[in-house]
Amino acid sequence: MQAAECTWTHFEMLRPFCFKSPSTTPLFFNFSKHFQKGYSDSSFFRSNWRISNYPSFMATISSVSTHKDPVSTHDATPNITHQPVQVAKRLEKFKTTIFTQMSMLAIKHGAIKIGQGFPNFDGPDFVKEAAIQAIKDGKNQYARGYGVPDFNNAIAARFKKDTGLVIDPEKEVTVTSGCSEAIAATMLGLIDPGDEVILFAPFYDSYEATLSMAGAKVKCITLRPPDFAVPIDELKSTISKNTRAILINTPHNPTGKMFTREELNTIASLCIENDVLVFTDEVYDKLAFEMDHISMASLPGMYERTVTMNSLGKTFSLTGWKIGWAIAPPHLTWGVRQAHSFLTFATSTPMQYAATVALQAPDSYFAELKTDYMAKKAILVQGLKDVGFKVFPSSGTYFVVVDHTRFGLDNDIAFCEYLIKEVGVVAIPTSVFYLNPEDGKNLVRFTFCKDEETLRSAVERMKEKLKKK
Amino acid sequence: MEGKLSSVAKNFTPSSIQELSQLAQKCNAINLAEGFPDFPAPPCIKEAAVSAINNDFNQYRRVQGICDQLALKMKKTHGLNVNPLTDIAICCGQSEAFAAAIFSIINQGDEVLLFDPCYETYEGCITLAGGIPVYVALEPPQWTLDPEKLMRSFTSRTKAIVLNSPHNPTGKVFSRDELEIIAEGCRQWDCVAITDEVYEYITYDNQKHETIAKLPGMQERTIITSSLSKTFSVTGWRIGWAIAPASAIQNIHIRITDSAPAPFQEAALTALRSPIEYFETLRGEYELKRDFCMKLLGSIGFRIQFKPQGSLFLFAELPKDCLLSDVEYVEELIKQAGVVVVPGRGFFHGNESCNYQKRYIRVAFCKSGATLNAAAQKFGELINAKACPKILY
Repeated sequence: MQAAECTWTHFEMLRPFCFKSPSTTPLFFNFSKHFQKGYSDSSFFRSNWRISNYPSFMATISSVSTHKDPVSTHDATPNITHQPVQVAKRLEKFKTTIFTQMSMLAIKHGAIKIGQGFPNFDGPDFVKEAAIQAIKDGKNQYARGYGVPDFNNAIAARFKKDTGLVIDPEKEVTVTSGCSEAIAATMLGLIDPGDEVILFAPFYDSYEATLSMAGAKVKCITLRPPDFAVPIDELKSTISKNTRAILINTPHNPTGKMFTREELNTIASLCIENDVLVFTDEVYDKLAFEMDHISMASLPGMYERTVTMNSLGKTFSLTGWKIGWAIAPPHLTWGVRQAHSFLTFATSTPMQYAATVALQAPDSYFAELKTDYMAKKAILVQGLKDVGFKVFPSSGTYFVVVDHTRFGLDNDIAFCEYLIKEVGVVAIPTSVFYLNPEDGKNLVRFTFCKDEETLRSAVERMKEKLKKK
Repeated sequence: MEGKLSSVAKNFTPSSIQELSQLAQKCNAINLAEGFPDFPAPPCIKEAAVSAINNDFNQYRRVQGICDQLALKMKKTHGLNVNPLTDIAICCGQSEAFAAAIFSIINQGDEVLLFDPCYETYEGCITLAGGIPVYVALEPPQWTLDPEKLMRSFTSRTKAIVLNSPHNPTGKVFSRDELEIIAEGCRQWDCVAITDEVYEYITYDNQKHETIAKLPGMQERTIITSSLSKTFSVTGWRIGWAIAPASAIQNIHIRITDSAPAPFQEAALTALRSPIEYFETLRGEYELKRDFCMKLLGSIGFRIQFKPQGSLFLFAELPKDCLLSDVEYVEELIKQAGVVVVPGRGFFHGNESCNYQKRYIRVAFCKSGATLNAAAQKFGELINAKACPKILY
């Protein structure tokens, strides 16, 4: 259905219902002139920000109130004494995320945030303008559930460019509200309660939660420093005919590791041998610095058993738009689409039109993106080394993990709290990314998706105030 | 490799509503099937979204102002005290709010009561979460609630009941007495009520929408879901919310999509601060469309027994003389009149082998005057030419 463009400006009634004179042209009925008035002041949203709760330094870094920033708790709240609605047993352990907790502390101490994984700079104008145009053109109603056709086509074209694989945009592409939802839809659409799924730790925190929602049995293989290589023997003894799927995030959050061709080949042959599905999260594929990104789906025999997931947010610095997708052969796409249709039904329409334009960006855009990020990475990595951290090599993403132990704190959470309170810098403790928190206690994660000035300031603060023990 | 689908996903069928829409597009039929407008969204709300994009509101965010506005609204409209800091999750549409609510409270094997007929998506979501949908049939032609039938449907495994009011597809607005009956069931059996109130501002004939959460003992056991979509004609923006006391919904929602589209959250602030005239106009104009639609169907032989009290839909029983089933009728209507509506059977799920389940069509009247007039024109041509006896009575 095409949305009719509003061109009339005055209010007219439906003509009285009558078939007697079919030759009379019908009048138009439209919503009244109320909609022509601008009854809201455009500066209103500034007054809604909780600016008063942010130190002025924070306001210059990011005046955005993010969902991961909890709001101040000192406002007067009504005295509510209701019992909370009970949570399903299998989800009880998932309380506030570590991001929210760290943010609370960061706000309180005016710390520089180089922990969380979203930029403090904005996306490119050409993509923003495409979204604006789509809104003005009236593309504001439900999109087709599995994606706006042009966008599905653009995703297929991009996938062909990146992997050489030719896919059917109508049958093999599903658009979702961010890669987060692609992951949830894949898990819920393709995993039965009791199915075994292999995860590599450390892992992005939503994986465990969505696997729990699907009732899966999680088998975890830990990647360890310094190079976070896949422990092949452990993988061979973990994978079996009982394994339903294996989840691979490459380039990897939080370590920045990129799965090598050898590792992927080994995993592939084990999957073929044991008839295992592969779910890949490749949202950082354009932030591949030290080696080329390889999609598991492009390996021989693997496309038919792989769901490849990606999103717009990291590549185009528009993390709040929530545009993601899953690419899979038709028999797997079916399950993904079913779950998706009951999770969000459809994805934001104007943003899909903008994303279509984005994916058609020239090579120069991606080259420049890489160059910019590599410059930022250099500042952070050198800075962290100068401060005295043991920095592990990161091949991709905008994350770096470091060993903090020479600063004398007991574990990663204690170190991060110390870093916020005494130094004024935010990092993320990695223990939450492991099934066994002990595995992460020596490591914390920094990000370099921030402007260079922020990165330099953070490094300076650490040089000044962080002392080795 | 069909074996790779989860057992739940295998049983799903594609949205019949979406399929029909595709057929209608092929035939270039006038679409009175899908429940979204074909007229533009209010300009100032679009401008707010454009402004947000230009002002760099494009990274992950949760706009607390939306929660503040909603809390104010809940107090003003329903007299409810809602904590804007802890009781509200902003989601990608009411769809995701509902999914988040279901996933946050349903354990494997929990039963969920649903009124029949109902919107086709609830069941899929409940099943995906491992729950068991149990239907309580509303009785035609007035879609009345039988208290005894309802109470008999509660068991020790019942975890929740879904209440969509104003109701899709019938247009019913549950009365205070009916809400009280449902509330009694929830209190007695210690169940949660999950509401879908997306049509909350679209009620007719001075009827007011009431939320079950305001009844005694209900706020603590109710999850309210709603969205911007129908109120502000922006079904494609995916801004909705779930409201429940100190709930786990926010944490669960984060794992589904992490956050709702940022620029549209900003625009939601404009929308939610619309003056009262906006809502009055909305109601008034949809009421006119409802009335027009009733006459439209009347002209081709329908006798509407249940006048919609709310929502954007008319659920009409086929004329008694018509021997076609709902699906056959819809096909005839597309072919002969170039107008598409939805066969009612997709909204029924009961085990009762009732003939009436194949005798209804749903007509969406959230369409522009041009569209509605065009449909009238088409019907007029048929009548004047005395064509297609199958759909004229």
